[in-house]
Order: sequence, then structure tokens, then C-alpha cells
Amino acid sequence: MLGAGAMTNSIPEIRDAEVLFVIGSNTTEAHPIIAMEMKRAVRNGAQLIVADPRAIWLSDIATIYMQLKPGTDVWLLNALAHVLINEGLTDNDFILNHTENFEAVVEAVRDYTPESAEEVTGVAADLIRKAARLYASRRKAGIYYTLGITEHTHGTDNVYGLANLVLMTGHLGLPSAGLNPLRGQNNVQGANDAGASPLYYPGYQRVEDEGVREKFEEAWGASLSPENGINLNVMMAEMAEGNLKGMYVMGEDIVLSEPNASKIERGLNQCEFLVVQDIFENETLRYADVILPAACFAEKDGVFTNSDRRVQRVRKAVDPPGQARADWEVLGDVARAAGYGMPHYTHPREIYAEMAALSPKFSGISHERIEAEGGLQWPCPDANHPGTQYLHQEGPLIGKAQFQAISYRPSAELPSDDYPLVLSTGRTLYHYNTATQTRCDAGPMAHQPECFVQVHKRDARKRDLRHGDLVVVVSRRGRVECRVHVTDKVRPGCVWMPFHFAESPTNKLTNDAGDSVTGTGEYKVCAVRLEKTDRTEETRSV
Amino acid sequence: MEKSPMTDKFDITLNGIRLQCESGETILDVAKRDGTYIPTLCHDPRLDPAGACRSCLVEIDGQRRLQPACAFKVTPDLNIHSESARVRKHRKILMSLYMADHGAPLETEHNGDQLTRMARDCGPLLALNPVEAPRAARPAEDNPYFTFDPSLCILCARCTRYCDEVEAVNAITLSERGASTTIATAGQRTLMDTSCELCGGCVDTCPTGALMEKKPAKLNQVNPRKVRTTCNYCGVGCQMDLNVVDDKVIKVSSPEPGTTLNDGNLCVKGRFAYDFIHHQDRLTSPMIRGTDGQLHEATWAEAIETAARGLLDVKERHGADSLGFISSSRCTGEENYMMQKLARAAFGTNNCHQCAAT
Amino acid sequence: MQQYSATRGQILKLLEAEGDTSQESIKRVSEATGVPEADVYGTARFYDLIVRPGPRVCQGLSCLMAGTEELCEELTDAGISFHRVSCLGQCDRAPVALDGQMTLTHCGPKGGISPDSSELAMNLAGAEDLNYPALALARKNGAEWVAEQLESSGLQGRGGAGFPAHFKWNAVRKESGPTKYVICNADEAEPGTFKDRELMSRRPHLVIEGLAIAAFCIDATDIYLYVRGEFPGPGHSLEQAIKEAAQHLGDFNFHMVHGHGAYICGEETALIESIEGKRGMPRLKPPYPTQEGLFGKPTLMNNVETLACLHSVLCRGGDWFAGLGKTEPGTKLYCISGHVQSPGVYELPLGVSLDELVQAAGGYVGNPMAFSPGGASSGFLPISERDRPLDFRGLPEIGSMLGSAGAVVINDTVDMAWAARWQTVFFEDETCGQCAPCRIGVRYVRRALDQFIEDGDSSHLDHLNDVAWEMAEGSICGLGMTAALPARSAMQHFPQGFSRDGEESHDG
Repeated sequence: MLGAGAMTNSIPEIRDAEVLFVIGSNTTEAHPIIAMEMKRAVRNGAQLIVADPRAIWLSDIATIYMQLKPGTDVWLLNALAHVLINEGLTDNDFILNHTENFEAVVEAVRDYTPESAEEVTGVAADLIRKAARLYASRRKAGIYYTLGITEHTHGTDNVYGLANLVLMTGHLGLPSAGLNPLRGQNNVQGANDAGASPLYYPGYQRVEDEGVREKFEEAWGASLSPENGINLNVMMAEMAEGNLKGMYVMGEDIVLSEPNASKIERGLNQCEFLVVQDIFENETLRYADVILPAACFAEKDGVFTNSDRRVQRVRKAVDPPGQARADWEVLGDVARAAGYGMPHYTHPREIYAEMAALSPKFSGISHERIEAEGGLQWPCPDANHPGTQYLHQEGPLIGKAQFQAISYRPSAELPSDDYPLVLSTGRTLYHYNTATQTRCDAGPMAHQPECFVQVHKRDARKRDLRHGDLVVVVSRRGRVECRVHVTDKVRPGCVWMPFHFAESPTNKLTNDAGDSVTGTGEYKVCAVRLEKTDRTEETRSV
Repeated sequence: MEKSPMTDKFDITLNGIRLQCESGETILDVAKRDGTYIPTLCHDPRLDPAGACRSCLVEIDGQRRLQPACAFKVTPDLNIHSESARVRKHRKILMSLYMADHGAPLETEHNGDQLTRMARDCGPLLALNPVEAPRAARPAEDNPYFTFDPSLCILCARCTRYCDEVEAVNAITLSERGASTTIATAGQRTLMDTSCELCGGCVDTCPTGALMEKKPAKLNQVNPRKVRTTCNYCGVGCQMDLNVVDDKVIKVSSPEPGTTLNDGNLCVKGRFAYDFIHHQDRLTSPMIRGTDGQLHEATWAEAIETAARGLLDVKERHGADSLGFISSSRCTGEENYMMQKLARAAFGTNNCHQCAAT
Repeated sequence: MQQYSATRGQILKLLEAEGDTSQESIKRVSEATGVPEADVYGTARFYDLIVRPGPRVCQGLSCLMAGTEELCEELTDAGISFHRVSCLGQCDRAPVALDGQMTLTHCGPKGGISPDSSELAMNLAGAEDLNYPALALARKNGAEWVAEQLESSGLQGRGGAGFPAHFKWNAVRKESGPTKYVICNADEAEPGTFKDRELMSRRPHLVIEGLAIAAFCIDATDIYLYVRGEFPGPGHSLEQAIKEAAQHLGDFNFHMVHGHGAYICGEETALIESIEGKRGMPRLKPPYPTQEGLFGKPTLMNNVETLACLHSVLCRGGDWFAGLGKTEPGTKLYCISGHVQSPGVYELPLGVSLDELVQAAGGYVGNPMAFSPGGASSGFLPISERDRPLDFRGLPEIGSMLGSAGAVVINDTVDMAWAARWQTVFFEDETCGQCAPCRIGVRYVRRALDQFIEDGDSSHLDHLNDVAWEMAEGSICGLGMTAALPARSAMQHFPQGFSRDGEESHDG
């Protein structure tokens, strides 16, 4: 399916784009280097469309900026489709030759007029029309999105809505076009590629597919479960329910980074056995039965796969500290100790070769080739294949792409009298995820030493809050103290917080209601209120 | 498919050799492809040509004046001389002037100092008295990563142009004029008080050592071993070089522009946030929770055995699907493969996921 | 990052209104225009009238010879604070001081001009014709006819380079594209030069009519006038003239832009940068402004005097104009100051000698020793060249140039090292600092002269010719190319003044 993870196009193509549609991505902060390419494109004359509830840096240089209300993306996307269809801006040849189910979308978006969208999303009807026309006016028109699209209970619908726009305009199989999720972490793509998924073996081969299972059973010499596993969000829920009893957590601080932290802590208290493998102490460690010290990226060999499907090398530069070891070595030892005959690999290149042999998408990729040629972009089916710069270039699609009719559903938790504000969370330029790495460093700490909540100046005035005041943010799940940043960058009625700070754990507030397909938590919308606090800076413990 | 833009191919002559080139290319582009060295200081392929440092001036038949190779676009049958007596005389006096304006004597070469190396290539220079230009530094600069020494600045403006054209944050600017011209922020505030995002691109592009990183300066090391790797922060996959001395990463540098997908660029995290590697809070020993409820250091063999045994026990008591395996987008592809193989082949469950499915 | 921001051109005007470059002012201007604070600051700090507003005393050579030091003492005694600044373009009234509003507060008597005559192309003393007959003729006979008349007139650009004007006009005419611009370069600031000042004050309609003809001929509608910031009076005259002649100018938009105290903005590409609201740093050429000028569009830029000639070129014919000259076509406004009886602006046949020019100005004062034929950039010539035609083609043969025709006469009371030093100070104050040969070179030359004047040791000057050679070869624009000429020409023509061991006096 279109939109299943990887970028259809490549990062170096961005500078040649004619239109960029950036939605739910604060690119300059979360992906600064991609943002540089976007800036270069704009400098070269590209038109930029930005849709985001917060006035982000890119909105300043945008031709069209749509400041939608959080959680109303589906309505906006359907309205854009409505305009494209009603004004005859669709690529009918492409739709006819390469897609199916277009009629369902025509039917589904009929009532999503720009005027109705203005009411729901807060974006002016004319601006929506202009955006649709601009997007359709050029072939080299790419869509770029990230967690602002996916971290919702309707995250999958959002992606479908974007895919519909791409398909109906035929912006596919061309350079500088397509549908491009920007990956938030260095190797999200590579982890998915490698089968760290309850539904897929390595190379996006379905767990439920019997032929695939037999192939892996034979290769691995083990009998494998035919049942789909459960995703992370469900695992957390099952753990809280007492159904998940043992866990092996590698390289993540689930207490700090998963939504509804209090519930997770409850679950961890009930967990019978927990193995944590990490490079730093973290909040989850407090519940561990066994701690395994790991090597960081500078201390081991391997590959990362980036957002544009490029498999690149990670190389060992220094030795790990103390007794820490590379994760791949530790995992092999644990498997053997559990009685499974895991081979004794001497180098990650052997592991990669095993995976490539089982995964048609990367069969042509090997450490040896990357050493010789630099990064390789999958699909790369054989050793002579040069890799794939952008997808769907040969007669755009294999088979036909399915349009998906979607309809608007409000976010799982809406503001109420008790919790009148909508909280979104995200990442800042200076920190990374749970900040275990960036907080070692002077620059991020000098720029952003502590957690903050961005509050619109009107809301601040109403509550008699001034810039720099301490405040308690309260949701149905928890309370977090942080400092007020008064701004006009957020919409009135909306507040925004970063999630990097252990002493202000934002994810105690967020809602763990998950997307029905991916299980991704709704980090972008939950209801909160602000409470003034009498504590002063001096008495505040850090 | 897209139409490729019309390109004219034709020949020019460089130092007596016919070379093929395309319209739109500069003399420097053609010379670089041919391997002909033309010195440059203010040139950075990511930036619009400025032609301001004058080190790449060449002689072109029919042109009264010497012309900057970095900016002059080729036209058919140009006859270009980059090593004529006139060009060499120009280069020698120009370098003499630079050294009269530059605080570093030729003997001390600063980190990344192209200028001093280039001056050395010009042979004996004129012994010009220092001009003592009144260039000002920022009075209270307190950013944690780099320093600006105006006495080493040649005003090539690579830093200000990078900040404008590539990073587009416009934190720094050329200020004042004439001999007083300097690199400033608005109101000479500290960088921390501007739109600067501390990407360090200005430091990376500085050809003279006027902009220097503070961290490696502390270690005062030359010729570190460089290990090319992939950044471990966001999903862009920037390529970068870890600079290693005595088994320590002392600096991160970016590859040559044009050679990797990040085009020589890095952000504040990629370039500067590497202290965690050698941080004292790293986990260094396996630990096992004892019967006292406390964590105790253990050997690897004990820890591995305890981990495997504990998980097998849960499986025996509650079934394979009572186990969960959380892999990590922070780890390598091979390690993710190992984790799912561990879950599936060793423990018999598909309950394997990673922190960010998105 | 936006290359051509529509509002960017406003920042200098706004900054001047703010009156300083404080953080608050910079922030307000940044917020009003969307231009980043650093860019606003960097641009502001380029311009002397923004960085150092307030009363100023001219330290140009003519003023220095007429008593700048005494004037400074007088002002200091009167408790008036002031800045000593580059030539203020009032050499005929030297020595001068301006107040913060750029009004003359201290000066000599008004300078002379040529008497009214119908045989002068511009005729400063003549009456203005508000009917714009030349523009009417242009409209009637068409652009092609205008171009023919211009070519047959042989009119050379009066800004300094002296290239035939029709070259530029034809270059812009043949550029395609709907948008082109005409710019009047009224940023006259070459030391010794004040002819455009007089022309704008006395005959503003000649200038406006010339601009309208130019815009008509190249098919432009937007016309920019960039007037030196220290010339508010002449700028006002032009604005009045535009109002008075409104009925003839309906199809043109005039934009008045005031300079902010930077000599380099007289260089055409620096002037364009300045209109765009940037630091006045010259661009690389090619591309030329005729190809990519203001806002990247083809642009025709002419000097005030060039434009003022068009009226008579069209009304009386190109051949008539060509026949006015002595060695080259037309009459020319010559400025004369320094050691002469009646400094002023005299319109004479192009190619008169210094003696003929000085005769118009009432004769020499004292025993003439040297002169600059065309402003500081033309260097110095010995008085033995007094019979040589002052024209565009002849003077380069002896290493000088007519330039802006701002002649300065120096008599034998003046020390040439001292004179060269002050001309060099001017260039050091006014170099933009962009390219190393000029920025470093001119400072080197000035310091070498200072060191020589200080101790009389001529070895300080050993490398001066090499540095001057590099400045001429390596600089981006004309300022750097000529900035060492005062020192080099003084050393060449007056070697005795540079080989002493300190025994002679160096008074002014």
C-alpha cells in the first residue's frame, strides 16, 4: 500500500521540487537537514504549502499556510480532494490506468465542501481551494509528513487521505513528487525492514502467509507461530491488564516515551520478569530484573536504513565502555542460552547476508556493496541492481493502487469544561526523544534546559499567566509541572509541550488510545487544563 | 518522464588543453572535473558564487580584467590561463595582503586553515607590515560550541552566506564596512540570543580557523582518525565522520559537500551532541536483581543465563504469547533482525515490535 | 533567504527614521519588513548617515586646503560636536560643515557657473521648458529615432567611464521580458565633484525629461532616482519637477530613493543593491545591469548629466550636440576647485585644457604645481599637463582619466605626500570591504604613507607599487582599481616629495 512507511522519493530530490506540501511535520526542528533541502527548493522558486496547528518556522516562508485545529486533518484532506474533484484538477488517465475505487472517494468527499471544512478545521475555505489548486498545478509536487499525521487515533485515515491526493493527481512515479513520511528516528525504517513487527517477517513478508512462514521455519530451523503478534500499544495495555508477563526491552525507555506513563508504571509493577538492554540508566530500568549494558552506535558495526530507504553503514570507531557489548552479540547469547541454535555470527555483515537472502526487497544489498558504492536504496532485488531512487517509476504501480474512502472521526479525547485545552506534544531541535543523549551536552541544555508548555497569549491572559511562570498541566491521567511560554504560534485553545524531560514527563498526560491499525498512541491530541502553582523557582526541585 | 533541460556542449581551452563543457558551468566546475587546481577561499559549492576572495582569478583572452573562475560561466572557445605570469603575480601579492591582514604567522597553521596552506603554495611573499584592521569580535559571546577570532577572519563571508542561503536562519551578517567589516549578530548579541540554531555549518565552512570548535580545541589534537558513519539521531541518515584520538570521539565532522545525501550539512545534534558516547552515566556492567530486591553487578554469563531462564519460566507458566519483545529503532538493522528472530525462533511468539512504528 | 523581498527596500528609509541602530530600532524594522534582524543590522551598519548621524565637517582635499582644521577648531570651541567625514560635494564652497539635517552651516561663497547661452547643451543658467518638447518628439518619432539621435550625438556616459551612451541603451532595448527599469544615478560623491548637485538644483526638468525619454525608449514604466543622502535640496528639486510635469509623465512611476552615506553606492551595481535594501557591495560583472539589474531585471542606469543632455540631443539633433565638442562630442560640465579664483561648475566644450577651464574660473591662486583632472580617482598630474585636452580618451594615455570631471588645482604650498595621504584616507573610509585587494590594499597604502610622513623613511613605500598593481588587477570594482592611484601618481610625478629623509616640511 502507498504510504506504508517509506518515502516514495528521495531526500536529494527535494531541492528540485516545484511544490512542497508539508503537513504535520515541524521539519526544521525534527529533520533539520531535510528542512535545509526544502529551504533550498523555496530559494530556487518552489511553492510551499504548510498545514500545521502550530505556526512553525516553515510557515513563515510558505506560499500557503493552513493553521488547522488539532485532530481535524481528515476533514481538511477530504476538502482538498473535494476541490480537486469538483474543479476537474484530477489526473484522469492516471486514475483510470493505475488505480481502483476512485468512485468511493468521490462519493465520500462529496459533503466535505471547503465551507464545511472552514467550520471544522478553522482554515478559510478559499485558502483550502488555493492549496488544492497549487498542489495540482505542478508535476513535481511532493507531500511530506511525519508524526503530526500518524500520532492520532485516526492516523491511518490521515495517511489514506494523503495517498488519495497523490493518486488522484498522479503525483507518483516522478522525481521530487510522491508521498513521503519523514522518519523520526535513525533506524525506524531499518527496524521495520528487519521485521521488528508483530505482523511482518523481515522484508515486509506477512506472518499470516503460510508460504512465508515455511520459508522462515526452514531457514531458521524452528517452528514459528502462525498467529499475528500484538503491537506495542496493545502490549502496554495487556501488561497493565496483567496478561503480558515477561518482557525484553532493548533501547527504549518505555516509561518516558509511551503515552499514559502512569498506566505503564502500573503494568511494569505487575510484570513477572523484565530484561532491559540499554546504554544509559533510564526510568524503565527501575523495574528490571536483568540489565544488559549495550554499545552505542559509535561502538559497533551494522547498518541503519533512513527515511528514503537508503541502507547505510554504521561503523565502529571506539570500544564500548566497561563490559558493555553490542546488542547483536548479546541477543545471540540470550537465544542460545534459551536453547535455540542461533548461529555464532562473527560480524553483522553475516547477519545482514542472512536477512537479505530471505528478503526479496533487499536481496541485492550487502555490506560489501555498501562499502564499495555507498548507501543503497531498496528495493534492490539483485546484486546488479543499482537500487531505487524513487518508487513506482516503471508504469507507476505494480497492479492497481486502491483509493480508500475515509470519513472524519473526532479525536478520542476532546476538550471539556474541566479540561478545556487541547495538548499536542512533539520534539524540539535541541533534544532528541527522551534526551538521554542530548542532555549530556551543553548546547541543548543552554538553549532548552527544562520543559515548557506553549500557551497562546489570549489563553495566558485569561488565566493570568506570564511568560516564565511555573504551571501544572493536568490531564485525566496525570499532572506535570513546567514553565509557561507565551506565544502566538499555537492556536487559541491549544497548548504544546516537548516530551524530552524526565522531571516533567509529558507522557503522563498523553492518551494511549491507539490507532486502530498501527496501534500508535494519540500523542497529538488530549484534553488538559492549566493550574497555577504557588511554588517559585527557588523551591522547585530539578 | 521529465524532459531534461537543453544543454549545449562545447569546448574551451584551459592552459592550452581543450576541455569539453556544458553551458551553465563555471570555469571552476570545468577545472575541477579536469583535475586542474585553481585556489579558492570564498567558494563553497552549496553557496551562490561570491567572487569576493579573488584567489581564483584567471586570465581569459579577450577579457580586459582577470575574472573569478568560481563565477564566470563558460562560453564556447574561451581561452583561459590559470597559471600565467599575470595570474601568479596577482596570487602572490593577494596572498601577501591576506597575510598582512591575518593574525596568524605562516608557521602556525590553524585547524582547517586553507588560507595559510594556500599562502605557502605561493612561494616567498612580500613582507608587508600588518595592517591592523579594526575588526570587532562579539563582546560577550557565550555559546558552548564555537569561538570567533576576528583577527583570523578574511571576510570571505562563507559563514554568513551559509547561514542565509543553506540554513536560512540569518543569525549572522557582515557588518560595518571597509577595514572594520566584521561578522556580527544583530546588535552584536551573543549567538545564544539570536535565531542561531547552533548547526555549526559556519564553523565547518570557515577556511581560516577564525571560527573554531571549542571542544576539540580543549584536546589540542592533530590528525585524528576519521571513521565514516551514519548519524544516530533522526531518520535523515546524515553521513558523518567521527574523529577519534586515543579511543575517544573528540569531534564530528561532515563529509565534503556533494558526496553524501546531507551535502556536507549537519544539525546541532549530529555535529555537537556526541558527549553521551563517553559519558560517565553509561551502563558498564550487567546487573541482576537479587532476592534482596536490589540490583547487583554480575558477570555476562550469569546475566545472560538469568535473562534466558526468566523469560523461559514466564513462557512455561503463561505461554509464549505472554512474552513481549520490544526492539529499537535506535539499534542497527542487524540487531532488529536478531531481536525478532529471538522472539520468533527462540521463544515462539510474534509479539515483537519497536518503539516507533511510524 | 528570499532574494527579492518587496519590503526589503524599505529598511534603510525606516532605519533613518529610527535614527540609530539600537537593538530596539533593529527589532522594529525587522518586524515591520520581515527582514531578519541580523540582515537589518548588517545593512544599517554599512551606511554612514545611519551609523553616524548628526553634524559633519568635510575632510575632502579641497576643504582641507581651504581650512578644514581651522573650521574644526572653531566648531569645537563653539561646543558643537561633529563627525569628520568624506567629501561632502561642496568643494566650490570649501571648507564646509553640515548640520544633522544636511543643511550647510559653515561654508564659503556660492560657486560660479557659466553664463546663460543657447550654445550650451545643458545651460545651467538657462530657463526650464515645462513643455517637455524632447519627450514629445520621442513619442512622435519613436524609440528607434531616439536611439539614432543618441548614437549620432556621440554622447558619452557622464558618470565617469565615458562609454558611448547608446551602447547601454541598445543593450537594454534588445533584452526581452516585460519588466525593465530606468535608474538615475544621482549619488554624486567623488571628491572634487559637484556638477550633478548644480544640475539637479538648477535644471531638474532636464533630468526628469531625460529619464522619461529613456523609459520610453527602452519600454520601462518604473523609474528610480537614487539621490545622494547629503543632497536633500537637489532631491527636493527633482521631486518638485516630477509634480510640476505630471501631465507629461502619466505613464511612468517615479521612485525617489535617498542615499545613506556611502560613496560606493555611486557604483552602479552597489547602487542597485542599496535600492534593494542591502549593503552597498558591488556585484560581479558579468552579468551587467543591462542584463540582470534591479530586482534581477534589465536595467538602464545613467548619470544625471547624461540624462540632462537628452533634451538638447533630441530638440536640436544629435549632430548639433556632437559639433559642440572640441576633441570629443558635446559640452561638458567641468567642476573646478582648489587653488583657483572662482571655484564652480563651468559648461565648456569637451576637450578644453586645464588652463582654459581655470580661465573660466577666474585664474589660478598662487603658483600651480599639480592637479587632479577628474576627482580623487584620477590621481594627480603635474601642472606641465596644463595644455592637454581634458577628455575621456586622452587622459588614460597618461595614466589618468576624466572621470567625473571634478578638477582640483594644487599649488606649490602643498606637500604631495600629504595630499596623497588624504585622498587615500577617503578611499579607506569608503571601500565596502568586500574584496581583499581593495579592503586590505588601501589600508596598507594609507598606513605606508602615514609611516613615511611620520619618519621620512622611504623604505615604507617599497611595496606600494606592487600593492597598487594588485589593487588595480584584483579588485571587484572601480573603487579598488583606482584607490591607489593618488599615491602611485604622486610618487610617479613628484618623486622628490617621496625620497626625503624628513628634512622638508609637510604642511598643508
